[in-house]
Amino acid sequence: MSGQIPILTIGSTLLTTVHIELRDAVAEAFQGDVLLAIEKTGATGLVIDISGLDMVDSYVARIVAETGRMAKLMGTETVLVGMRPEVAATLVRMGYTMEGVRTALNLDSGLELLGHVVPKRKAR
Amino acid sequence: MTNDHRKYMTILKLDEAEIQSRRAFFKLADADLARLAQLRPFAEKVTDEIVEEFYRLLLDHPATRAFFGDEQTIRRVKRTQRDYFLGLFAGRCDTAYVEDRLRVGAAHERIGLSPKWYLGAYRQYLHLIHEALFAELKDETAIREAFASIQRIVWFDVALAIDTYIAANLDALGRHQAAIRELSTPVIRVYEKILLLPLVGAIDSHRAHQVMESVLVHIVEAQAKCIIIDIAGVPVVDTRVADHLLKTTAAVRLLGAETILTGITAQVARTMVQLGVDISAMHTVSRLSDGIELALGLAGKAITDK
Repeated sequence: MSGQIPILTIGSTLLTTVHIELRDAVAEAFQGDVLLAIEKTGATGLVIDISGLDMVDSYVARIVAETGRMAKLMGTETVLVGMRPEVAATLVRMGYTMEGVRTALNLDSGLELLGHVVPKRKAR
Repeated sequence: MTNDHRKYMTILKLDEAEIQSRRAFFKLADADLARLAQLRPFAEKVTDEIVEEFYRLLLDHPATRAFFGDEQTIRRVKRTQRDYFLGLFAGRCDTAYVEDRLRVGAAHERIGLSPKWYLGAYRQYLHLIHEALFAELKDETAIREAFASIQRIVWFDVALAIDTYIAANLDALGRHQAAIRELSTPVIRVYEKILLLPLVGAIDSHRAHQVMESVLVHIVEAQAKCIIIDIAGVPVVDTRVADHLLKTTAAVRLLGAETILTGITAQVARTMVQLGVDISAMHTVSRLSDGIELALGLAGKAITDK
C-alpha cells in the first residue's frame, strides 16, 4: 500500500503533501513511509502539508500527531502546515489541540520555522 | 400602512397548503363557511350592538383604555371592528382572508397591545356573539350549529393572531442578531501580518463560536503571524469565556499563528486566578500597546526611538 502519498527530500528536510483522505490502510502506510524515509535520509525536518484536506477527523489528527512524536524520537522536528480554518475549528471543538506538533501557516513559513529550530547539519 | 403582515406570512410559511392543513385541524370545513355566509344577515343586524358592547369592556379597563386616544380614534377602531366582525361571516377562508387577519395581528403588535388583552377581549366577543345568537335565532339546533361554526373560524383567527405576535418577535430577534453579528467581530489589520480583534460586550457561546470562525478565516486570509485579542471591553470574564478564548488560541496555533490576549484588568486577573483558570497557554499582557509591541517582536520587528 505504500507510495500513495509522495515524500520529497529537499536538503535535510522531508516534504509530504497529504492530498487524499487518510483512511486506515493509507494512513498506516503513510506513517510507515515517513518513518522509513527519515531513517534512510536522516532528515532533520519534516513538513506535512495538509492544505489539501477540507476535513480532518480524530483518526487522521491522531495519526499525524503520532507521526510527529515518532519523528521526534528519531531526532526530526515536524511542522504541520496549511491547516484550513474550518479544520482547526472542528479539531479544537473535538478537543484535539495536537499539543507537541509545531504548526505554520504555509509551506514557506514551515520551512523557515525548521530553519530556526533545526541545528544546521548535513544529511547523512 | 406597513407591509409587515406579508413578511409574517413568509415567516409563518402561510401558503395554500399550510392554510388547508390549519383548516383541517380546526375542523373548519366548507360547510362551516357556507353556514357562516348564511348567518351574514344576522351578523349585519347585531354588529353595531356587539361592537358597542365589546368596546365598553375595553374602554372601562384602564390598561386597555390607554390604547384608544380620542373620540376620533375610537370611532375609527369601531369601524374597523365592524369590518372584522362581518369578515367572519364572509364565507371564505383563503389566502386573502388569512392575509387580512395577519394585518389585524400586525396592527395589534405594532401598537403594543399584548396577547393577554387580545385573548381577554376575544372572550368577551364570543360571549356577546353567543348572547346575540340566543336572542336572534329561535331554533336550538340552529343556534348550536351556528355557534360551532363561529367557534371554528374564531379559533382559526386566534391562532393566526398569536402566530403573528410570535412572527413579529422572531423577525425582531433575527434583525438584532444580524446587527450584533456584524458588530461583534471586527478584525483590524494593525500591521503587516498582525491582526487585532477588540472584543466589546458579553461573550456567549454563540458569539464565541463566531469569534473563533472569524479569527481563523482572517488569519489565513491575511497570512497573519499573530492576532491580538483585546478583552478590555468584555464586562465579565468567567471560566466559560476563558475556555472559549483558550479554544480559539488552540485553533489559531493549529494554523501556525499566535494569540496575544490584552486588556486584562486587575479585576479580570483576580477572577481568573480565583476561579483557577489557567490561561498560561496564551501570551497575556495588560495594555494593548504592550500587546502590539509583543506582536511586533514575534514578527521580528521592534519599535525604537528616533
